[in-house]
Amino acid sequence: MREPSDRDLVRRARHGDREAAAALFRRYWRDAWRAAFAITGRRSLADDVAADGFERAFAALGRFDERRPFGPWLHRIVANRALDLLRAERRLSDEELPDTPDLAPPHAAGDRSLLTAVAELSLERRVVVVLRYGVGMTPKQIADALDLPVGTVNSRLARALEQLRESLEVEHVE
Amino acid sequence: MSSELERRLEGLLAEAPEPEVGAGEEALHRALHALLPVAAPRRGARTAVLVFAAAVVLLAVAAGSLAAAGALHVSFGSKTKQRPTTTQLSLPAGAHGIAAIVDGRLTVVTKGGFRLQGLRATAATLSPHALFVAAGIGRSLVALAPDGRRPWSQAAGGRVIAIAWAPDAIRIAYVVHAGRHFVLHVIWGNGKHESTIDGSVRPVQPSWRADSLAFAYVGAGGKAIVYDLGHRKRRVFGPHAPVTRLAFAPVGRTLAVATPGSAILGGKTVAGGDIEALGWLGGRLVVASELGVTPPLVRIFATDGLQVGSFRVPGRAVAVTGGYVVARRGQVLAARSPARSVSILTVPPKATVTDVALG
Repeated sequence: MREPSDRDLVRRARHGDREAAAALFRRYWRDAWRAAFAITGRRSLADDVAADGFERAFAALGRFDERRPFGPWLHRIVANRALDLLRAERRLSDEELPDTPDLAPPHAAGDRSLLTAVAELSLERRVVVVLRYGVGMTPKQIADALDLPVGTVNSRLARALEQLRESLEVEHVE
Repeated sequence: MSSELERRLEGLLAEAPEPEVGAGEEALHRALHALLPVAAPRRGARTAVLVFAAAVVLLAVAAGSLAAAGALHVSFGSKTKQRPTTTQLSLPAGAHGIAAIVDGRLTVVTKGGFRLQGLRATAATLSPHALFVAAGIGRSLVALAPDGRRPWSQAAGGRVIAIAWAPDAIRIAYVVHAGRHFVLHVIWGNGKHESTIDGSVRPVQPSWRADSLAFAYVGAGGKAIVYDLGHRKRRVFGPHAPVTRLAFAPVGRTLAVATPGSAILGGKTVAGGDIEALGWLGGRLVVASELGVTPPLVRIFATDGLQVGSFRVPGRAVAVTGGYVVARRGQVLAARSPARSVSILTVPPKATVTDVALG
């Protein structure tokens, strides 16, 4: 049997169909969580941010334009929530955010130098890199999610890649 | 075309952690509770009657079952015989609903067709878009929904005297008169995860910041306190005089407060006199003050404190809510803006109106 489209599920969920809403959740939970993790770098925050993102999305489903794709809209909510949280944390603590301690999976030792270089990127650059290469979003989708021009996303990606190459070259020389 | 570095990144990040199963289940539970079905459009008088009847039956059944379970501390019978307190109630343009406490009884009307009148209550407010009503009933905080969804009740340990629903609808802050103290609590909009924020506050309605991540309240010492939910941190702001009202702007993080003789915005006193109401119309602060024998003067300020307009309202300003100044003159409550005035509620002579919320 053909899987119902996002649009069908959204339409049904808007009218209170919990099964449709649950199907939407299952379809997007992993991606939303990984996007949240990509931005926050912390498992505990990713749980909260992704859950909060879904909560906000479902609460706002009545205002959602059904003609638009659900995924990028959800990612936008999750990404903005994660960024708001990190910015608020930074403002309140007046300290630099910690690096991404949870980012390293235990079996990633083989590319640890690249992982370290990613963790050293600024928040703005790290976010676009992980959304692009970790979550698989296109620059246009990232731009929609972060409310940025596509050109800005592309330039951040290019600069981030340049910085990563430089970091890896320096390490190679050392 | 992918470069070698890009392929390495994809490989590296593909191995990023996966969410834990338990987190997903809990998140699904939370998300489903946040699901708010789109309100059905009005379909004439018959539908309105049916919706009203269903809402009354639902309320009675639900309240009865909650009371039986000991969760809702109200009683039914001659002591709580319902009686009409209002003779007319209508919505101004742009409002989704109105909730008011008139002579200690709740009156609610929403665009979705929910109409309720006469239930004893101590405070009330509407959720965003007026999809739900939260009210202090007996010694509980109770949420009522017009669409057949099960309401919930939270034992409050005293009378609920002020309620504020967050702009994102996820949380509710409320103040309870418990013995000698007023206690501030927060609960999720689905009735779960209640927590006590401050064991001694002043009986002033809290105000949520636009991002719903923090809210302001008045501490026992009379200072305005901003509580950050994410970090469970408090920041104290305070003029020397005790704060009597506070209101976060609907956009951004600007907080306005009133003391017995002044309205303060961004640390600067922008208006004097006896402040009757304070709130925001769009991005502008509105202060209604009594300056003598003349009708209250409503002054409008930009966020930098510059006065950008004013108008007078007849009678007495009751609240700034839902983009209007609600003023009472005799038996009539009217929603007023610089451009228009709409009668929204007619109350019995000498009736006491303790809470009005347009949503």
